[in-house]
Amino acid sequence: MAKRSVWSDNRFWQRSAAWVTGFASILLIWLTFDTIPQITMGTDADLKGGVTKRVPGPTVINYKITYEMDAKRMHEIPVIGDKELFFGRDDWSEEEAGALLHLGKLGSQAKNCMDCHTLLGNGAYYAPDLTKAWLDPAWGPEGSMQAMTGKSTKEEAMAEFLQHPSTYPTHARMMPDLGITAEEAKGLVAFLKHMSSIDTNGFPRNFGRMQGAVNGK
Amino acid sequence: MFEPFVDVVPSFFGWLNQGPLTMTIFLHTIIILPMIWIYKQEKARIEKEDA
Amino acid sequence: MASSLTSESKKLATWYFTFAAIIFGAQLLFGLVAAIQYVVPGFLFELLDFSIARILHINALVVWMVFAMFGSVYWLLPDETGIETVGIGIAKLLYWIFVAAIVVVILVYLFIQVGPADQTTIWFITEGREYLEAPRWADIGIVVVALGFVFNLYATGMKGNRSGIVTVLMADMLAFAGLYLAGMGYTDNISMDQYWWWWVIHLWVEATWEVFVGAIAAYGLITMIGAHRKVVEMWLWIEVAMLFGSGILGIGHHYFWIGTPEYWWEIGALFSALEPLPLVAMFIHVLYDWGKMQGEQEAKGEAKSVITNKPAFTWFVLNAFGNFLGAGIWGFFHTLPQVNLYTHGTQFTSAHGHLAFFGAYATILIGMFYLAVQGKNGIKVMHATKKSIWATSMIVGGVVGMTIALTVAGYVQVLVSRAQMGATWAGFFDGQSGMWFAQGMDWRLVMGVITFLGFLILVVDLLSIGKNAKHER
Repeated sequence: MAKRSVWSDNRFWQRSAAWVTGFASILLIWLTFDTIPQITMGTDADLKGGVTKRVPGPTVINYKITYEMDAKRMHEIPVIGDKELFFGRDDWSEEEAGALLHLGKLGSQAKNCMDCHTLLGNGAYYAPDLTKAWLDPAWGPEGSMQAMTGKSTKEEAMAEFLQHPSTYPTHARMMPDLGITAEEAKGLVAFLKHMSSIDTNGFPRNFGRMQGAVNGK
Repeated sequence: MFEPFVDVVPSFFGWLNQGPLTMTIFLHTIIILPMIWIYKQEKARIEKEDA
Repeated sequence: MASSLTSESKKLATWYFTFAAIIFGAQLLFGLVAAIQYVVPGFLFELLDFSIARILHINALVVWMVFAMFGSVYWLLPDETGIETVGIGIAKLLYWIFVAAIVVVILVYLFIQVGPADQTTIWFITEGREYLEAPRWADIGIVVVALGFVFNLYATGMKGNRSGIVTVLMADMLAFAGLYLAGMGYTDNISMDQYWWWWVIHLWVEATWEVFVGAIAAYGLITMIGAHRKVVEMWLWIEVAMLFGSGILGIGHHYFWIGTPEYWWEIGALFSALEPLPLVAMFIHVLYDWGKMQGEQEAKGEAKSVITNKPAFTWFVLNAFGNFLGAGIWGFFHTLPQVNLYTHGTQFTSAHGHLAFFGAYATILIGMFYLAVQGKNGIKVMHATKKSIWATSMIVGGVVGMTIALTVAGYVQVLVSRAQMGATWAGFFDGQSGMWFAQGMDWRLVMGVITFLGFLILVVDLLSIGKNAKHER
């Protein structure tokens, strides 16, 4: 009689399944311990000292953010530059900026932003991705959105739009009025600015690089 | 084969990720390799039962 | 309706299946609303906006599947363990708590929709995190119900005969319930938020739910075609090893772009690339066992089919195909970072989502509905009716049609909005106004309507098939 093979033995596969599952779980936990400190929010001191963090602290709203090609990493990364006014100030303290971001992040959840938009590419696909919305040329000084709201700065234009989205004719698919207050809108803009400073390993690629005519328009 | 570190913050897994495929070869191997040991144990058990 | 069920556990299972089917209908209905909004943007604007329709669409999806999964376990426990489920009284009580909580959550989504930016909204209205929008009070309720369910399973498994299938389910359902905790917290850090959020979403649908499907498929093969338990359970263990071996670290493919380190590219790509393997194994396993059992039967000189429940087995075979195609192939399409950089968060993802949830989960759970109908009516061999065939064809045709339409829409979105325009506001809408995209959305709506009509026929069939005289009793 031919010998039984281990390959068709239930106990072998049961033990292998238990090992693979258990060990893969341990590896995931180990990786989590490696990743969590790297995606923990930085501090104001980091920003002042020029320490690069994957997720900068809330006071990043005091600085100009750009999205530039990094030769070494071969993709675009957010670059935190000089001081920049945000709602007329560039001296938001750690507490103030933190409170604003807290309000904005809560607002993003309370208004179900993620069920039309994508944040860091996750969410619904009915409306534009907000990962780098702060850097969108449409909201810049020459952008159509800023002109539409009649405001003179990006943050004020965004805040105005968020409070009365359905009064601005942007596209056939409009954003509904979600009862966003002036303070909440400020928080949401801070949240968007902060999100644009997160190092997303080059996602989205070529953001805002293409300007001018498309399809002959 | 080993490239300078490019990720933002140095870490064990970041270091492991320096060369082509080093990370995944390491992880796949340490998951699969001990199955050889399970195989040998079970083979011995089956032989004992059949003897 | 007279019932042939003597087991309380199986009676409870039929309650779970009934509520699951109702919520399944709600899922399709709100999906249709959202699909119409893509074609006619003003539809129900500022009454039932896309965000609300979509929350209801995807939450109803998760809820009906969880209900049907719990029901499936209550259904198979007495068969597998040989005893009545322990603590069935508590289980019935928890069922009603669960149903009540879900109804309240749905009504709040529908009529309150959004709240002010503070913690009361998170506790009582919405958490606003895709799939996990359920407010925190409901989270806690779900955890309590899940703990009761896990207790039923463990107490019964330890008291009765603990088969391989029950052992797998015990480990799997504990992880399934426990992982939910990872999605209950709040943080201001969106990267951290999404890191833990994926622990729930990914480790549910690409790990624990898939293992659950493996266990249910194993049970189905034993009960419906009389497959040999030893063979089926060996396959099950192989599937568990491959599913968890690839699926747990496969979570890395969600960590490419959320702020997490670059090393996740390599982990995510090369573990998740293996995720289709166990799905191929399941596919081979189901068809192979079927052929084998039929061959054994015919060798004995009996030309009759080995299948004791035709409509249920049809759905189980569709599961084998659908899981491999929807989760396996459509998932692999965009799992490598070089592809995902451009496809992440487009209709391509949506195409995968539709076929994967349907192929991997909806199919096998509908199969369980038919198994319950058979058991409830005391039928030995249940045949398909014209209605079951129409329902199956329309639902499958509809979902495959939607998937193709969304894939085509995703193609133009990836090329125009992403590759060319770099994902800006203007780029997004340029992509959306492309002809391929617009037509894709029209076809998706048509196919969605077909799916919904198929669902209506399915309901009629589930309610009437048991009384049909053609079955062997």
